[in-house]
Amino acid sequence: MKYFVSIGIFICFFTSCSSDKGEYIPIDQNPKLEFEIPSNFPDLDYDLSSNPPTEKGFELGKKLFYDGRLASDGVVSCGFCHIQDFAFTHHTHIVSHGVDGALGTRNAQPLHNLAFMKEFTWDGAAMHLDLQPIIPITAEVEMNETFSSIIKKIEEEPEYVQLFELAFENKEINSENILRALSQFMIMMVSANTKYDKIERNEGAVFTEQEAAGFELFKSKCASCHAGTLFTDQSYRNNGLPIDPQYNDIGRKRVTGLESDIYKFKVPTLRNIELTFPYMHDGRLKTLQDVLDHYSDGMVDSETLDPTFKNSDNTIKGIPMSQEEKEQIIAFLKTLTDDDFLNDNRFSEF
Amino acid sequence: MKKIVFALLALTIVFACKDDNETDTVEAGTINLEFANTIDNNPIVLNSTSYTNQSNESYTIAELKYIISNIVFIKENGDEFTYPVADSYFLINEEVPASKQFELGSIDAGVYTKIRFGFGVDQSNYPLNGVANFIPTAEEQGMLWSWSAGYKFLKFEGSYTPQGGTASDFILHIGSHGETLDNYKEITLDLISPINVNGNTSTINVNADVAKIFDSTNTHSLEDKSDIQVDPENAPKIATNVQTMFEIQ
Repeated sequence: MKYFVSIGIFICFFTSCSSDKGEYIPIDQNPKLEFEIPSNFPDLDYDLSSNPPTEKGFELGKKLFYDGRLASDGVVSCGFCHIQDFAFTHHTHIVSHGVDGALGTRNAQPLHNLAFMKEFTWDGAAMHLDLQPIIPITAEVEMNETFSSIIKKIEEEPEYVQLFELAFENKEINSENILRALSQFMIMMVSANTKYDKIERNEGAVFTEQEAAGFELFKSKCASCHAGTLFTDQSYRNNGLPIDPQYNDIGRKRVTGLESDIYKFKVPTLRNIELTFPYMHDGRLKTLQDVLDHYSDGMVDSETLDPTFKNSDNTIKGIPMSQEEKEQIIAFLKTLTDDDFLNDNRFSEF
Repeated sequence: MKKIVFALLALTIVFACKDDNETDTVEAGTINLEFANTIDNNPIVLNSTSYTNQSNESYTIAELKYIISNIVFIKENGDEFTYPVADSYFLINEEVPASKQFELGSIDAGVYTKIRFGFGVDQSNYPLNGVANFIPTAEEQGMLWSWSAGYKFLKFEGSYTPQGGTASDFILHIGSHGETLDNYKEITLDLISPINVNGNTSTINVNADVAKIFDSTNTHSLEDKSDIQVDPENAPKIATNVQTMFEIQ
């Protein structure tokens, strides 16, 4: 009887060889990376099964991320404007810098917890993490490069040829695999080890009195937009910044074409906010104090100003806060700094 | 006993991997798709020939490019053969004759009566299923909105003159943006006569009546709007018109 069973198994095994095509074949030299969703985090938005991060894919993504070959001048890599020490922002730079000293119009956003986000960039122009790098790579004022040219440059580097072979089943150096590798690197950038997280997960940390007061204020004054553990509801809103005529940035309207979206920008995450200055989509505010001053006293009205900031008689309410309250909120915001993430060697250039 | 097991094993290996088609006479074949861009049944001529739309505006065409994708051949009984998605993105550029015809190999044998294809890039496939590999082509042809990482499905540019007016440029760049504006369209056309794929090469001629970009389901006057790019009102109207412009010849 046993023989028949094993024959049966063999038959099943061998007859299945014609349908193997789409199945994942594990490659020994390229183990999958563990991705664990922190217990206080929401579900992933990125479908990991479509592009499972692997050791070699991650290594390749990291190499690409820090490689100036992705830019026309051979210098301005992704990591040029996204510096780990500052939660992958361009420290102190108001707007992003590009090749030949070109200046962008928006402030480089931090990179972390991207696999939990639905859309990318300040106006949500990229609907998938794999698409986001196309924007800075091809923008004239950023990396000013084309994919054909990047592919050509990369094909000349034996180290890259080998990494693509190891990282991807089809071994090809093409735009899809370049974007997938970059995503694998970015997917792994999870920042979830702040003091706040340790409190939320009951890992023994406690707020100081000032931080606790700040957290209570934050919940009532800020958390309707900076919602949940990611500190953003991922919506687009006009927070009453005066229009800067130098840029006249129309925000979300650029993507949807809708008048009702003019001057709206994505509600940013506040994780590591202590380090990601300057603030706002155009980096116009230098400190957290400046930001809170804007919310309490600096807003200007316009057609699309978020209703949250208005009184019932349509006058501007903003977010009323005393100086003491602002200091408490800032103390709380500093509990969102994740030193483990900022110093995590896996993501470091050197 | 062991011998029997091995014999059986060997047999299963041989049979399992044998081509099923060997006993039949049907073989995969090739279908050539040939696109022609016409107005009033004449191939369009870039720059020099002037056309008139239903809004009485004369126009010349400087550039016409569009993306055809997701090609499917359909049999009488509704069975479908889907051409591999990653390889089914094509950019038709009026200026480049070679871009208007492409060869689709390894089509399953059978008798097909309909063809279905997409205009543009299906959002659910982008950037998945190899569609990101169309980026270099689109980029070189100016069919990528770099600021939004999205494809332009249609690039239609030229000059127009309203009746009694002066000439100015028109620019139509139609694509999808964000989740709110999806201008991808599917087109299903009956073949004039069924195509029997059986190791042979067949040709399907698709005619695009370019005049329908302005005048079809919707009538678009260039004087009203001559620059349609990220436009939630006019871009969908143009895309709907494009959906109607194809016919089999």
